Formats: sequence, structure tokens, C-alpha cells
Amino acid sequence: MATANMKDVKRRIKSVESTRQITKAMELVASSKLRRAKEKAESAQPFFKALYDAMCDIAANSPISSQYTRKNIVKTALLVVIAGDRGLAGGFNHNVLKLAESRCAALREEGLKVKIMPVGKKAVEFFEKRDYELADTFQQVAEGMNIYKSREISDLIVAMFRHGEIGRAELVYTTLVSALSQEPVNIKMLPVDDFNYNKDGKAVSLTVYDPSPEEVFDGLIPKYLNGMVYGAVVDSFAAEQAARRTAMESASDNAGEMIDNLSLLYNRARQAQITQELTEIVSGSLKNR
Amino acid sequence: MKEFRLKIITPEKTFFDGMTAEIVARTTEGDVGVLSGHSPYVANLVSGPLKIMLQNGEFRVAAVSEGAISVSADETVILASAVEWADEIDVERAKRSEEDARRRLAEYSSQKEFDLAERKLKRALNRLTLAGK
Repeated sequence: MATANMKDVKRRIKSVESTRQITKAMELVASSKLRRAKEKAESAQPFFKALYDAMCDIAANSPISSQYTRKNIVKTALLVVIAGDRGLAGGFNHNVLKLAESRCAALREEGLKVKIMPVGKKAVEFFEKRDYELADTFQQVAEGMNIYKSREISDLIVAMFRHGEIGRAELVYTTLVSALSQEPVNIKMLPVDDFNYNKDGKAVSLTVYDPSPEEVFDGLIPKYLNGMVYGAVVDSFAAEQAARRTAMESASDNAGEMIDNLSLLYNRARQAQITQELTEIVSGSLKNR
Repeated sequence: MKEFRLKIITPEKTFFDGMTAEIVARTTEGDVGVLSGHSPYVANLVSGPLKIMLQNGEFRVAAVSEGAISVSADETVILASAVEWADEIDVERAKRSEEDARRRLAEYSSQKEFDLAERKLKRALNRLTLAGK
């Protein structure tokens, strides 16, 4: 009995140890990927900030009437949902998909039809299984994201908007607040209307727009939306790595705790066996006297 | 000649941040030269050459894929998806992507694929032209 039990415990210790090895490795991989992803997300900041400023300036300097800013009568909204390509990242995928679902329900309540454009394998799987109308789907794009790949996505959105397939576009993704906290967020893409219009009578600059403010503005819009998509995907990827690192860290800790408990159990069983053997020997020798 | 501050920013990095006396950029309306003291000006850029005057008075040419230029009193900012110095262009790589783009143009099956391939070809050709090959 005791020996069988000991064997079992030994086997379990071994299996937990190998699990810990895996989670530990994943933790290390995630933290090195996190560092790179964070750098990438940060180095993109100045570019899009400058782009945004330029657009704000135009909006402030001249009243713009662009097809991209007007309220649209088309009763379909597009929800771009960015999640991860892989699991094992704690609540990362679940949280962002839950937010997407509730946002979707809210839009339906407003009487809109909702189309989903999932980015990331987990998002695609999630929405394919359920009863949603899907636009194009994108998988395995987050890690090697660059400005041309995000352009594919944003151009599709712009095209759908221009063709009147959608009257609204929103983005749901996870932002990296800090290495320890990630938050799913929902932002508006189209129509664009959140520019800081210069209404407080600040002096209007005499900027020349070539050929015209409208055309410059409309030319900037696809780049701006591309920037939004790029930023969101890169941010979401960094958040995914951070979430995975935290999840794997606690998994490794738990495995360590389990190994401690099991070793204690094992040592006890071993001690019990020795004691029993001793008792047997002693009692045997006593009888033989 | 009087100099002004020029910044070239791409999503990956700040490509250039320094003083120059003159630049010539290709906008949607044609080539535009900017000297110090230029009035505020904003335009979109198409992919093409960007000439930047160096300290020794010579122009150094960079290949810009589409972007925007914004001139204000204190600095000039160029935003581009990608920038490369013409003398640093990897000709082999550009040729490969040209071939790839032409192949895709030959066998496209949707408008989207066509657009993507066409844009890729334009980028490759721009880089090849500027590299002088």
C-alpha cells in the first residue's frame, strides 16, 4: 500500500515539474516578446500623434464637410474585434470578446445591424461559432504587424464605408495600461468627429492646404485610420504578452506550491514505510527469542 | 543659406531630425520646394523622391512611400509610411518585390488583390528608380 502510494506521488511530482518547466519557458518567451512589442507600440506614437495633430489643425482652420465626418444613414455598424492568436493568456481573450459582445448587443438595441470583422485566431473562432454576420477575417497577423498589413485591414473598412455597406465603424481591442494590467476598450473609427474643433476663437493660422483643405483631409483619413488599426493591433499584441506573462507566472508559482505539497506527502509516506519496516523487524525479532 | 528644422517620422522610428536649408518633396500636386521661412503649408505626398540639402550644399535623395508634409513656422514635419536613403536601398530586395508584385498583378482574382499588388509594384519601382537601377 505504502509503496504504491509513493510511486503515485512520485509520478505526480514529475508531471507537475514538467508542467512547470513549460509554463516557466512560456513566461520567459512572453516577457521578451512583451519588451519588443512595447517598444514597437511606443515608437509608433510620435507618427500618429503628428498625423492626428495635422487633422485637428485642418478641422480647426476650416469647416470641413467630408464624407468621412458626416453622420451616416446606413443602418449597419462594423465592429472590428482584435484578440489574440493563442490562448493561455489568462482572461485576455475572454475579456475583450465579452466587451465586444456587449457592445454588439448595445448597437443592436439602437436598431443597427452589426457586422463583425475579427482579427486574431481566437476572435475568429469565437464569432464563427456564434450567430454573427462576419466581414473579412484576419488571423496570425498581430506578431509581424507592419504598416502595409494594417493598411489592408483599414482600406477594407474605408471601402465598406464608402460603398455604403456600413454607416459606422468601431474598434474593440485590449490596451496595455501597464505590464500588470490590461484593459479592453472600445473606440470609434468612422465617422470621424472627435477632433478638437477650435471653437474658443483662437487665431486661425494662415496655412495653405494644397490643393484644398477638403482634399488634404480626405487624403489623410485612410492614413489616420490605418494608424488607428496599426496602433490597436500592436497595443493588443503587447497586452496579450503581458497577460500571458502574468498568467504563466502564477501558473509556475502554483506548480511550485503543488510540488512542495507533494514532496511533503512523499516524504511522509517514505517515513511511514521505514517506520513500519522497523516495527516489523523489531516485532519479528521479539517473537523469535 | 538659412536653415530650418526638418523632422521625418515613420511609424517605426524618427528617420531624420536635423537642420537643412532646402527640401524638395513630391506632393499630389507636383514637386514642392521648401526653404526657410516658408508659409504654413500642408499637403499629401505620393511615393517619390524627397531631396534634402546637406550641410555641404548637396542634395541627398530619399525614397518616400506615401505620406504627408506639414510646414509650420518652427519646423517642417514629413510623415511617411516608409523612408529610405536612395544610396542605401537594397536593390536585390526591391527587384524581388517588383517581380513578386508583377506576378501577383498577372494573376489577381479580386479588386482588393489588384490594388495591393499595384501599390506594392509602385513602391518597388519608386525604390528602383531612385537607386538608379
